[in-house]
This record gives sequence, C-alpha cells and structure tokens, in this order.
Amino acid sequence: MSAEGARTASGERNERLAALLARVGMADERAFEDVYRLTGAHLYAVVLRIVRDKSIAEEILQEAYVNVWHHAGSYDAARAQPMTWLTSIVRNRALDLKRRREIDTIAWDSGDDETPPIEYPSDGPTPVEMLMTAADSQSVRDCVETLEGGSKQAIALAFFHGLSHGELAAHLREPLGTVKSWVRRGLEKLRRCLDAAGAAE
Amino acid sequence: MNLSRSDRRERLDRIAAEFALGTSSPRVRRRLSAIATRDRVVADALTQWERRLAVLADAVPPVTPPPRVWARISARLGLEHRPAVREVPLRWWSRVGVWRALTAIGFVAALVLGVAQLGQQPAPAAAPIVVVLAGSDAKPALIASASRTDRFLTVKAVGGTAPAAGRVFELWALPQGGAPRSLGVIPAGAIVHMPLATPAEESLTNIPALAVSVEPPGGSPTGAPTGPVLYSGSIERMY
Repeated sequence: MSAEGARTASGERNERLAALLARVGMADERAFEDVYRLTGAHLYAVVLRIVRDKSIAEEILQEAYVNVWHHAGSYDAARAQPMTWLTSIVRNRALDLKRRREIDTIAWDSGDDETPPIEYPSDGPTPVEMLMTAADSQSVRDCVETLEGGSKQAIALAFFHGLSHGELAAHLREPLGTVKSWVRRGLEKLRRCLDAAGAAE
Repeated sequence: MNLSRSDRRERLDRIAAEFALGTSSPRVRRRLSAIATRDRVVADALTQWERRLAVLADAVPPVTPPPRVWARISARLGLEHRPAVREVPLRWWSRVGVWRALTAIGFVAALVLGVAQLGQQPAPAAAPIVVVLAGSDAKPALIASASRTDRFLTVKAVGGTAPAAGRVFELWALPQGGAPRSLGVIPAGAIVHMPLATPAEESLTNIPALAVSVEPPGGSPTGAPTGPVLYSGSIERMY
C-alpha cells in the first residue's frame, strides 16, 4: 500500500467517523453501533496492552463507549480527529486505572534493585516493532527511525504498555535519570519531525 | 518561580508530551486534567500531543472484544428500548428524563447558591434569577443570570463550553406544559448578554426552566429545537 493511498484510507475512516459521531450526538443508535463496530477492536487492543487484564479492559471499554454516547454532542471535529479523540479517551482511562492500581499494590518494604522484570505476552509484535511499523504513513515511520535506540525503546514501552518512568527504569535496568532524559529527548525529536512532516503534507 | 513566557511554553509542552505518552505521575495526571478543563492553552497543548502520538496507536493489531461488551454497553444505555433514530424533536421537553434531571440539578444549584447567600440579605430589586444549565453528566456547562429588572440575560460559558465548528447554541424557555420558546442564539464568548423583550421577572413568568440546543448558524430554521438538547436547568429565583 502506498503512503498516499494509506493516508486517504485513514482520512476516509476519520471522515466517516466524524459524520457518525455527529449523528450519535443526536442520539442515533444505529450510528453509535457503527462507531463501535468500526473502532471497538482497535480500542480494545490498545487498552488490553496497557492493563493486561481482559476483564478490566472490557470494563474500561464499556465505560468509554458509555461516555462517547453521552458526550458525542460535544465532540469538536475542528479540535481533534475522531480516532485521536476516541484513542485518548480509552488510553487516559486505562492509564489512570493502571496508576491507581500500582499505588494500591506497592510493597513499601521491597527496597531497591530486585524489581522483577515485566513479562509480556510473546504473541504479536513487540512495542518497538509496533513503533517501527507505526501508522500507515511513511513520514511517521521516518520520524520514528530518527530516534536513538534508548529513546525508541522507552517511548515504545511507555506508549503501548503504559509504563511509568519508574517502570521503564526497572524494565530497562537503567537509572531513572537516564530513562527520563531518553523519553524527553525522544519526544522533542518526534515533535520536531512530526510537525515538519505534517506541515509538508 | 520566574519563568519567561517561552520557558513556560516549553515546560508546558514537555509536561503535556509526557501526559500524552503516559509517563506522568498520577499526581501530575490529576492536576493537569483538572487544569485542562478550564485553561484553553493547557488543553490545546494536550490535544496537540494526543494528536501527534495517536498515529502510533494505529500499529496495535486489533483484538475483537467479546460480544458481551457491546451487550453490556447497550443494556446500560437502554438502547434496545429506544427508537432507532431520535432525530425528530418529538416533544423532547415533555420526556420524563429531562424533568427528572432538571429537578436534581436544580436542587444542587439551589443548595450551592443557597449556601453562598447565607449571612447576606440582598436588596429585593437586585435579587438575581439564576439558571445553571448542565448536560446529562450534571456538570454545569452554562450559567444564565439576570436581576429581576434586567432587560437582558447574562450567560457565562463554564470551562470553555462552546458549540462545535459551524454550529451555534440556541437558548430556549420551557414554559410549563407548552412548547419551547426561543430566547435567541447565544453569541460566542465567555460572558455574553442576550436581550429580553421585557424585564427578566416578566419575561420568565411561568417558565420553570431553560434549555440549550445545537442549531445551524443563525438558529433553528423551524422555530422549534432541531438539534440535540445538550443542557438544561431550572430557573432559581433568589427572592
């Protein structure tokens, strides 16, 4: 698939979703069902990777769509693409829940360096692989390519699995400060590159 | 702290980036989401970063959720019992839900305002008429007020409430048992004035509540609400 064709495809999906969301704002149930049919599997996958628990992921998805039904009327197509809006809703819910659970389960006496590594399901692509194939746009892939190894890995783990700075440090076995600066530098680089690519399109 | 404007921008951008990526601490997440509801600059910084990073999420291979997820969503919203399309404004103002919500919201508004009024006795002429307009989540979206003698309503948008691009908000008086009567299109702005034909006390006689619908530019072409009714609230008289 050419970058050109792919961009059109995702643009078409967003246009279709924006029209559907406008109808959901008018309490159109069939449009709401279409929105779920078009986006449910994608959003479920995003949540599942972050919370790593099917029943919790289902719960978050339900809450998110109930919210979409109630707030579709206030969705502003001028401010965000439909997929961005929907992805942000579920990611933020998943992240908030994950952080809350972490606080609840912190073992205060477990001292220092013996943090167990985080296990991931071996099926499917790794976070870095996903980052490398990210999006259907060549320009996004090019931007990801410019990231250094550490930044690439830290950003991939944070974005796809919702790891916090602390978890990143533990997982990558690097000092917290190093990981934080990888993340910061990587994000800065991504911003410059993505904004330039977006402006060029 | 003495940061220059550009330093501050840079710092906000970094915090917004880490929020969108997900690495911020729970404390920062809570504070930033709260600030974003009332500060457009912060909200825009977050939206921009969410937009930049959202393209990455496309790479996640989709996983079909079990059918029970949709079953639960539609059961919770009671979808099977509604008509397929509710586009026609079928006397929406007479639906029980609207009035039940109004009563609850009105009670809270009265409580809040009542507490604020304790200890001070305003002069009767200046006594305000107040309406807190809220959506289905009961969060205040717009506040309308007038003194009894004002020939205008002052309308304040709470937390950046604004219609979608290319749409306007229209304000409606809901007379007891009658059809909604337009009070006009709400002008864009944080605090705006809407003219009334007669002093507020007179204009709002026998009007228990106001509502806001979404309409095409220029307002409803039919004289009745045509778009969804997003907000409503009962009229509270502080006298």
